[in-house]
Amino acid sequence: MANTSWYTVGKPEQRIDAVEKSTGKVRYIGDYSAPGLMHAKLVKSTQAHAKIISVDTTEAWKMPGVRAIITGEMFPYHIGPILADRPPLAFEKVRYYGEPVAIIVADHEYQAKRATEKVKVEYEPLPIVNSAQQAFQKNAPLVHENAAQYTKIISDVYPKASTNIGSHIKIRKGDFDVAWANSEETITATYSFNLSDHVAMETRSTRVEINPAGKVIVHSCSQSPFTIKKVLNQFFNIDVGNILVHIPMVGGAFGGKGTVQLEPLAYLASKAVGGKLVKLEFDREEDMTTAPCRIGFDATVQLGVTKEGKLVAGKYTYLIDSGAYTDQAAGITRAAALDCTGPYNIPNVWCDSYCMYTNHPFATSFRGYGHPELTFAVERTMDQLAEKLQIDPLQFRIINGIKPGDTTPTQAVLTANNIGDLEKCINRAKELIKWDEGQCIKSGKNKVRTKGISTFWKTSTTATNAQAGAIIIFEADGSVNLNCAAIELGQGTKTILGQILAEKLGMDMNKIHVTMEVNTQYDPHQWRTVASSTTFLAGRAVVFAADHAIAQLKKTAAVVLQCSPDDLEVGGGRVYIKPDPTFGVDIKDIALGYTYPSGHSIEGQIVGIGKHIQRHLTPMDQQTGFGKPGPWWSVGVQAVEIELDTRDFTYSILTGVTVLDGGTIINPMTATQQMRGGMYMGLSYATSEKFVFDEHGIVKNSNLREYPMLRYGEQPTEYLVDFIESPAIDGPFGARGIGEYGVIGAPACLANSLSIATGMELNKLPLTPESIWQRKVEGTI
Amino acid sequence: MISFDFKYFKPSSVAETIEAYNGVHEQGEKALFISGGTEFITFARTNKIYTDAIIDSKGIPECNVLEMRDDNLVIGAAVSLNKITNSNLFPFLGATVKQIADHTSRNKITIGGNINSELIYKESILPLLLVDAKVKLAKGNDERAVLLNSVFNRKLNLSSGELLLQIIIDSSNIDLPYISLKRTKFSKVGYPVVSVAAILKDNRLRVAFSGVCGYPFRSDKIENIVNDSTIPVVNRIDQVMDNLPSSIVDDLQGSREYRAFVLKNVLLDVMEEMEMGE
Repeated sequence: MANTSWYTVGKPEQRIDAVEKSTGKVRYIGDYSAPGLMHAKLVKSTQAHAKIISVDTTEAWKMPGVRAIITGEMFPYHIGPILADRPPLAFEKVRYYGEPVAIIVADHEYQAKRATEKVKVEYEPLPIVNSAQQAFQKNAPLVHENAAQYTKIISDVYPKASTNIGSHIKIRKGDFDVAWANSEETITATYSFNLSDHVAMETRSTRVEINPAGKVIVHSCSQSPFTIKKVLNQFFNIDVGNILVHIPMVGGAFGGKGTVQLEPLAYLASKAVGGKLVKLEFDREEDMTTAPCRIGFDATVQLGVTKEGKLVAGKYTYLIDSGAYTDQAAGITRAAALDCTGPYNIPNVWCDSYCMYTNHPFATSFRGYGHPELTFAVERTMDQLAEKLQIDPLQFRIINGIKPGDTTPTQAVLTANNIGDLEKCINRAKELIKWDEGQCIKSGKNKVRTKGISTFWKTSTTATNAQAGAIIIFEADGSVNLNCAAIELGQGTKTILGQILAEKLGMDMNKIHVTMEVNTQYDPHQWRTVASSTTFLAGRAVVFAADHAIAQLKKTAAVVLQCSPDDLEVGGGRVYIKPDPTFGVDIKDIALGYTYPSGHSIEGQIVGIGKHIQRHLTPMDQQTGFGKPGPWWSVGVQAVEIELDTRDFTYSILTGVTVLDGGTIINPMTATQQMRGGMYMGLSYATSEKFVFDEHGIVKNSNLREYPMLRYGEQPTEYLVDFIESPAIDGPFGARGIGEYGVIGAPACLANSLSIATGMELNKLPLTPESIWQRKVEGTI
Repeated sequence: MISFDFKYFKPSSVAETIEAYNGVHEQGEKALFISGGTEFITFARTNKIYTDAIIDSKGIPECNVLEMRDDNLVIGAAVSLNKITNSNLFPFLGATVKQIADHTSRNKITIGGNINSELIYKESILPLLLVDAKVKLAKGNDERAVLLNSVFNRKLNLSSGELLLQIIIDSSNIDLPYISLKRTKFSKVGYPVVSVAAILKDNRLRVAFSGVCGYPFRSDKIENIVNDSTIPVVNRIDQVMDNLPSSIVDDLQGSREYRAFVLKNVLLDVMEEMEMGE
């Protein structure tokens, strides 16, 4: 739906941060240094589950430069975004390998690090919970003895006493049991994958000071500046107005910087040295295991279908390995439940989604928020069921694809505006991957080429009151500054918001200055920069701010031009009379008020203010899941063609395809790159990434020497992206969110293609040549 | 960051190097030679290595040579892997070292550093073992050139304070038919599950291995087996598997059983590529 009358929306504008980044001039949090800056380093647990018998800091205190040592009993309280179950510093016991146990503050970083080596922690090992399956068993050791007593920060979380269940979300739609009993064909299959890491290029870093007036000043690389304020207010009893948070450009986040971990630690460190400025920067190894990672996932999917291929019943049991604390894994448990079916219309749905405590590093949001995981399980099942039914897997998906008029698992009603067009996406992907040329082709000696496909969907499960605001102010030359608390973390959001503003004002992009840094004291409140929600929430705020400014521009211009504001139009840096565009006034002459030749001035500067808050979202009913969890669902399809060596199971990814219905695409180039980057990330953890644990729950590969991932240049040889643009009527210019989507279907379509190529059902990730070989060996025993 | 203090020397001659080493040694302290420094930095950062002093060999002219001298190719120990590949002076070595780490790291990793690596792989040694390379070593006032095979057993066995200056390769061994096959977990950037290098000299296959046992090796016994044309290739490979110098590595890159599976396939590829019979 390209609208050629648009000025900049739909055009591949260059990213506004491109020059700074490509010249290496961006200053990230960790690049900052100043005289008097103190450094904090963590003492971390060497055990995955153990009682802390003693923490002996005697020798550490003797080390040069040490100014403070903080241990867990100095702040024996629990914090958390959904369920407050995590002490910032472990006390009484440790629950994962790498957990912070003490903080050392010293004059120099090396001094702090050396002193950490002198802290003696005595542990008494406890039985390890080393998988979500084990955690779920009756009589499993308990990671938390009193999970049910923790404070709920958000209502949709249900910890269960005397178990390792941190939350349990239920979906009950229709009557699954009856539909299952009447199904003409059924399938039950299980899936799993292990925890892994975000591995953002910039490791997490923060610095905090408490100034003499009592203001707590935080600089951090975070996706959630206002959540930092909330956490410091809620758990540390600081007036929210006295907490100032600054966020510069962030060097990649992928959800991992959405949670609040370092800032409270750095706050405690600063407080211990009289409020001095303290920096806490994680090494890569700490960033991988001490900081939160990505969930592990176990799933059982049961689908019941008619002979004609119409899905009638779906049952989903998801065990989410949240590690030692629920953090965002509790939210992911909910998100996986409410979209549990994938983009299919199933009248009878039963889902139990469990957030399981284990003695693994704790998990938080990760691009896709549970959807790559559930999609892997659902889409592998769809392929296996299509084979049973002997229906073309694409046709099977089209038959069952969800449409306006259908309801989601939580019984939210879909309309032409809140769901994209899945069938169009499937048909376009089918063309791009050349499906009709064959799904499986022998391509040489011991070589076979196969194609796999995956549909996907996702909604943005924001808070029901999630919102954003924008302020625009004008320069004397008529150019515009845009201030908004959306965080630039590499996704290009500031460029997109700039384009939305440029479009509204009919102004060139080079006249739009988007403030990169976020400062909670002058930027209006924004929920968080997560959940693919910024184009929608902040974009709408910018639209309103622009309308607000336009009204003021017209008001001033109407006086100057002696006409009604209704006669006027804004564009090209001018305000002009609609019927005669040559008759007008330059914005630069009215931006700061209009001054007559006499010197008399009127109206004053233009300040545009805009805001947007989610509309009509609800929590979910505890028993049935009933509710409206998100504003819209974006849908899409991904496919790969791979070539497998059938002798040794090495393979290469020849073609990757992503087709997304993201509503109007504001910037086709950044959107295309976002899909490519997402698919690459999904393929990286589908082919390579996972944490390896030994029997004691110790992570064996928490470093980039041994943690396997794809490297630059290992993307598919051919990398095709296209968009279907069914506009969302209430999105800015019809746009929906797209940020996370490129990642979602990648593991599933890879596993589908490899299952065809090997003739085995490959239901565990990652799919390394070794894991495929292992599967083959097990299959032949 | 590296939290311990250490002294840093960058001598500009072999004599100064030895002097620096002895100076540190006389004070009862430990000195370590480095060139690219990639392993030192990454291991020291996580306290996996400790030293009182490092002596950087990049300033020693002999260590930076990369050229043909009469009938020999001379490669200084401080020459980076990328320089070796890009020079194209020894395509077999160039191809093998190009499989190590990633491009950016290979700008820093030197051949001397890789040969003396703390890790078990040391893949640059494979071609050198096969072409009977010599190494020039310095200690005190003495310099000696010896066959690499005579000082390399599992690792380069240098005496305390002895420094690898150069690698010397006879030009007659530079253009032999070769193959270098590395199998990784999945990404091309990674430690070998199995890495095999081979050349054909005088109609005889020479073959060296990394990632198979806990050290890189070349074995007469194995070469006798692979060259025994009276036996079918698959049987020769089975015999190789029975005659490895020690048990196969079992680690994060691959299990013992999987490595055996990969090694057999790689050997098949090597034999086929080098036309070593059916």
